[in-house]
Amino acid sequence: MLMAPKEILKIENLTTHFYTWAGVVKAVDGVSLEVKEGETLGLVGESGSGKSVTALSILRIVPRPGRIIDGKIIYKGENLLEKTESEMEKIRGKEIAYIFQDPATSLNPVFSVADQLIEVIRRHQNVTKEEALEKAIELFRLVEIADPEIKIWSYPHQLSGGMKQRMAIARALSCQPSLLLADEPTTNLDVTIQAQILELMKNLKKKLGMSMILITHDMGVVAGVADRISVMYAGRICESAGTKTIFYNPLHPYTRALLEAVPNIAMKREKLKIIPGAIPNLVSPPSGCRFHPRCDFAGPACVSAVPPLVEIEPEHYVACVRAKEFSGKLPSRS
Amino acid sequence: MSTEMVLEVKNLVKHFPIMSRGVFLKKQVGIVHAVDGVSFAVRKGETFGLVGESGCGKTSTARAILYLDPPTSGEVYFEGQEVGKIFKSKNKQEILKLRRKMQYVFQNPYASLDPRMTVADIIMEPFAIHKHVPKSKWYDRLYELLELVGLENYHAERYPHEFSGGQRQRICIARALAVEPRLLIADEPVASLDVSVRAQILNLLQELQRKLGITYLYISHDLSTVKHICDRVAVMYLGKFVEIADTDELFSSPLHPYTQALLSSIPVPDPETKALRIILPGEVPSPINPPSGCRFHPRCIYAKEHKCVENAPKLVDVGRGHLVACERMFS
Amino acid sequence: MKKEKSTKLELQYQNEKSRPKGVSQWNIAWRRFKKNKAALVGALIIGFVMFLAAFDSLIAPYPPNATPGFYVGEARVPPSLKYLFGTDKLGHDVFSQVVYGARSALYVGFGAAAIAMSLAVLVGLVSGYYGGLVDNVLMRITEIFLVIPFLLILLVFLKVITAVAPASIGGLSIVTLMIGVFSWASNARIIRGEVLRVKESEFIEASKALGASKRRIIFRHIFPNVLHIIIVLTTLMIATAILVEAAVSFLGFGDPAAITWGHQLQLANEAVKEAWWEGVFPGLFITLLVLGFNLLGNGLRDALDPRLRE
Repeated sequence: MLMAPKEILKIENLTTHFYTWAGVVKAVDGVSLEVKEGETLGLVGESGSGKSVTALSILRIVPRPGRIIDGKIIYKGENLLEKTESEMEKIRGKEIAYIFQDPATSLNPVFSVADQLIEVIRRHQNVTKEEALEKAIELFRLVEIADPEIKIWSYPHQLSGGMKQRMAIARALSCQPSLLLADEPTTNLDVTIQAQILELMKNLKKKLGMSMILITHDMGVVAGVADRISVMYAGRICESAGTKTIFYNPLHPYTRALLEAVPNIAMKREKLKIIPGAIPNLVSPPSGCRFHPRCDFAGPACVSAVPPLVEIEPEHYVACVRAKEFSGKLPSRS
Repeated sequence: MSTEMVLEVKNLVKHFPIMSRGVFLKKQVGIVHAVDGVSFAVRKGETFGLVGESGCGKTSTARAILYLDPPTSGEVYFEGQEVGKIFKSKNKQEILKLRRKMQYVFQNPYASLDPRMTVADIIMEPFAIHKHVPKSKWYDRLYELLELVGLENYHAERYPHEFSGGQRQRICIARALAVEPRLLIADEPVASLDVSVRAQILNLLQELQRKLGITYLYISHDLSTVKHICDRVAVMYLGKFVEIADTDELFSSPLHPYTQALLSSIPVPDPETKALRIILPGEVPSPINPPSGCRFHPRCIYAKEHKCVENAPKLVDVGRGHLVACERMFS
Repeated sequence: MKKEKSTKLELQYQNEKSRPKGVSQWNIAWRRFKKNKAALVGALIIGFVMFLAAFDSLIAPYPPNATPGFYVGEARVPPSLKYLFGTDKLGHDVFSQVVYGARSALYVGFGAAAIAMSLAVLVGLVSGYYGGLVDNVLMRITEIFLVIPFLLILLVFLKVITAVAPASIGGLSIVTLMIGVFSWASNARIIRGEVLRVKESEFIEASKALGASKRRIIFRHIFPNVLHIIIVLTTLMIATAILVEAAVSFLGFGDPAAITWGHQLQLANEAVKEAWWEGVFPGLFITLLVLGFNLLGNGLRDALDPRLRE
């Protein structure tokens, strides 16, 4: 039997809180997840579920007033939370790269694309300007931009949304990172452009063999791209498993609800199942399982204790006290 | 569903001039062709979907219908009356009457409620404007409306910022319903809501239609929700309609290459589906200089050299009320 | 299980029902303001000066412009129990004069701010809401007011006024009026910008779609949503007006009949070394009051900022 691939990133009990004047926002509260080498992990959750804060915590770039107060982030065997700031600077961009949701705000409007790419390349690699430019053009070819020699001299405002996102991907790939954090990379794009970018990311991953965390709220996006999926709700992971398991045998009621309550094109036209209520306020989140006020299956045990993330089936982790009951018993999704 | 038409739009055009900056005199330097000759009719009691990507002109169409931005040319008939004529007549009574019949629900429920007013003030404002409810009945009607959209009486004294996005959209719907409209234009009503809350609002809209018999014009870029809620759908590309059909027909047998690509681009939440994905080359051209002929031709895999570049195809009925604007339909 | 959940929901609702009144943005602003120590200090200072102005004749030991020290050889004596802040060359009790000056300072501050802000709000609202040609014309006029060397014009104008007509017109009111008329322009621009922002909001569009009249939109929707900016600008305007009046009086162009801190400073100017108390105390009060309004204004700005939500 083949050895299981090693994990490149392992997060244990990550806790990141925001100290606002209205109270402590428990944005990420004990998150554990792992990414294996060469794998794409889909991190799925709604707005405010803490998925972006988790990603920002990995690079230790959580904006104020947020602070990482507990946990371990083991990257290639080393805990990133114990590194000095200057050690982190060498990791950001070179080892772990980040693609933001809005490419427009992550590009500097006063410099040409070429200048920005050359700067990033030269920061981490010892090359001349000319060599860096060549590399930059190579990257543009990689992200399938036509006429890279000409396009590379354009300024961000001259590029369309899709082009900017390609450019942002090129920049993220400039130093051959081992791990790519893509935070909602297609959310601001139109569907036809989204299809282009997703296709590109799939191809790139195949070509470059890097690991990736794809953060999104759209189950459809991860279905075609991710190998494994972790579902987040209100600052915690509620279910982690292989992509097929998540879609065909979800055990956490939230995962099921998310799959059933969001209309999708393959669905029959019938009344949608609804998840009652709204996303909880993370200053004073519900006790126990944070999904319990909206859950159809909640019982007294769900209110009193925080359910741990337990391996119910091989490679299938669920944080629900009743997951064992559901295992194999929930009516399968059509 | 009857065949009576509530809304008829004929050859609607909306152009926005681009002005140069000047101290006193401004010069027109270009035109944004937001909507370029759009015609359709909405039947009483149905939900008519208007689908397209950002910048295709769907919101401009809606705003022109409501006369929030007067159309550049073309006519809009509401229950047989020409909307433009009424607004141009400046007859306040007639304009108010028309405003009561057509209402709008905006995309962003966070921005479409006045932050300094209570929910009661917001929902009762229409009563003050139209005076169609006697003052003694204002609160009774308010509580009726709150119940109708699934809110509680005590919510009336609260302010918008105390509500979640889904609840705010309910308030917006209640405000629109306060004038008892016949047509509700919903512009991406769930796009800015959390995914787990969208179903609540979609179900509410359907329930209200059943109870009150309102006609919907549903505008969205999200084909999944459109498929779920609409009876008929029009697909828009760069200011023009490319295809109109019944929902089931459109989703099962799309005819226009753009519709086909659009449908295949939607990510399906099912890892087993290996649907043939049509990846369109390039991006939507600028509406300032739209392509000649068929506006989709630069990205179309079927585009034939001359025909598509020179002739702007017209919407043609290919049977079962399925209209397509594509040269391929003639050959 | 279903039942448990519904009871839980009910409980939640009952808790919410226990505070049925909504929390308006003004409530939130007040809560935030209360936590801001600097702003409270500012309000306290203003309150103190207002108290002095309201009960000046009770607080001041001597009547206005009285020269208790003149005939008893107690001119220009340093602070003592008899004369808290000392006396000046003519034997005025500096403390009494400072107390009487409070009323002038507040009169000019509030008066000029009222005039300036009325104009600013009018121009800002009209210009921002109507746009087009009206906006163009009003903004050009505003720019003219912005480039005028306002202090010079003010001084020349006051000189002419005092030469043509004697003090009978009420000099302090003229100064107030002039400051008001010349300082609305920058505030008008800020208000206009804010109106433009609010005008584009979807809730304004929604009101239009409901058929609301222009009057309703301006007064029910736009005005309440720019009011917080107006309040902040007003406090800062008061501070500016007090400073300008002090400067004008100090330069000797003020109303000689009125007791103002600026005028006292001017008198003290000739004996800074020998009689420091003549200048220090009025100067201190100007600084204190202006500081008070600035602290209050900054506090209000932070508290009323709609971008900072709970």
